[in-house]
Amino acid sequence: MTLLALKGVESGYGPMQILWGIDLEVHEGETVILLGANSAGKTTLLRTIIGVLPCVAGTITLGGEHIEKLPPDQRIRRGIAFMSELGVFPDLSIEENIRLGGYFLSGAEVRRRSQRLYELFPALSERRRSLAASLSGGQRKMLGIAKVLVSEPKLLLMDEPSSGLAPVFVKQVIEVLKVAITGGMTLLIAEQNVAFLPLADRGYLLDGGRVRLSGARAELEASDAVHEAYFGL
Amino acid sequence: MALLEYALVGGILYGVFFSLVGIGLNLVFGVMRMINLAHGQFIMLGGFGAYLLSSHLGLNPVFGIPLAVAGGIVIGWPLYYAVVPRLQRSNDPEMLSFILFFGIAQVIEAVTLLVFGADQHSLPDSALGSGNIGVLGQDFPDSWWVAVAVSVLCIGGLYLYLSSTRLGFATRAIMADRDEARTTGIDVDRVAAIAFVIGLSLAGIAGVFVPYMVGSVSPSIGGGLTTTSFAIIIIGSLGNPLGTVVGGLVFGIGTMLMQTYYASWSNLVPYALLLVIVLIRPSGLLGKAVRSA
Repeated sequence: MTLLALKGVESGYGPMQILWGIDLEVHEGETVILLGANSAGKTTLLRTIIGVLPCVAGTITLGGEHIEKLPPDQRIRRGIAFMSELGVFPDLSIEENIRLGGYFLSGAEVRRRSQRLYELFPALSERRRSLAASLSGGQRKMLGIAKVLVSEPKLLLMDEPSSGLAPVFVKQVIEVLKVAITGGMTLLIAEQNVAFLPLADRGYLLDGGRVRLSGARAELEASDAVHEAYFGL
Repeated sequence: MALLEYALVGGILYGVFFSLVGIGLNLVFGVMRMINLAHGQFIMLGGFGAYLLSSHLGLNPVFGIPLAVAGGIVIGWPLYYAVVPRLQRSNDPEMLSFILFFGIAQVIEAVTLLVFGADQHSLPDSALGSGNIGVLGQDFPDSWWVAVAVSVLCIGGLYLYLSSTRLGFATRAIMADRDEARTTGIDVDRVAAIAFVIGLSLAGIAGVFVPYMVGSVSPSIGGGLTTTSFAIIIIGSLGNPLGTVVGGLVFGIGTMLMQTYYASWSNLVPYALLLVIVLIRPSGLLGKAVRSA
């Protein structure tokens, strides 16, 4: 069943158009990866889906409901979560970051869900009153993931989760995502690190703000275009 | 020695009050990234509110406090939604906000001038107690202590709001990264509008005590209060509301020391401190280190 569907989406920054007629689908329980070189439009696409950038043409539906005119907080209330490259508020404590992840939930519900997340991320639990800025890069990513998981989203958008991380921390992030995927979460990940490709069921290759190629993971792995644009070969 | 004690104790009292004077401006800047150039005029409105209650209705000027809060809501909420989202969609929100808030300041000043005239208005000392309270052998009027007590309550209340409530976390999140706050699901405009209302209300509450701490209230007092507030928040830390307390104390002690020893130079204090801080530590005395407080 289609969870997220984009048809002819165009977007950009003010007068500068970045995305041109994007068609994309994400089905329930699926992990979809967005591939592409720098400036291909991956981040712009995720920011358009979450609503920070305007969808100037085309439609975006979530579970069949049009969301392209809704503000970000309303999209998040409908079950989308977005993890940016930064992912956290460095000047707030770990606990405050996690509580903000469930901003629209009741306090009791956030506390209940936070407890489960602290069990999943014991390193965060031990330092919950520390500032996020005091965490290592890997721990910050874990906090970013914990923050978006509080809302138990139907669809999780992730922008370059490996950005700025040493390989050992990238492995940790992948392990956590595997747990989320096993739990039935739907993921749309924009990533340049090849280590994330095995997580994906399908993928899209963006180039110059357009979808150049889409298909199952095996098709993408075999594609010369992907090798050229993504692996840099 | 007695002079020095007087200057230090008086400076702390004066500084705590001026922390309240500046804190609303810093809160609004932190959340909206815009300087409210009408901040001093909103303080002045608070002063005239207290004057009206006292001189026309015979009420105690402290009833100006709930009036300031009501005024903050009635003016701040519609003003925010009428102008701020539009400004933020423009190509140059900072410059446009300067012009807009400058215009609002001029309108407030002109209307107040029409209604109250250009004269200075003061309030009866007895309304807040006619005695003195001494510390270290130095006596200060009851009205100063009441103003300081209200300032401490307001600043403490703001601290609790920012550090212990969900809206407070959201406010700090917006101060830290507006875009990240939006993608976290925070209704940024609603939270910022609440912060704007709080900022105006705090300005109005400070205004209630301006006739006691500054001597009088008049329509022309707003511009100077905006400049002083701006200096205080730069000294403390721009964008960090609680840094205002440090800025206020530095300003208060500096002013009282100058008034005690070199009275004719005391008006230069905020500007001299501003220049020194900008040259030595542009991020303010607290810088980013206590941004999370």
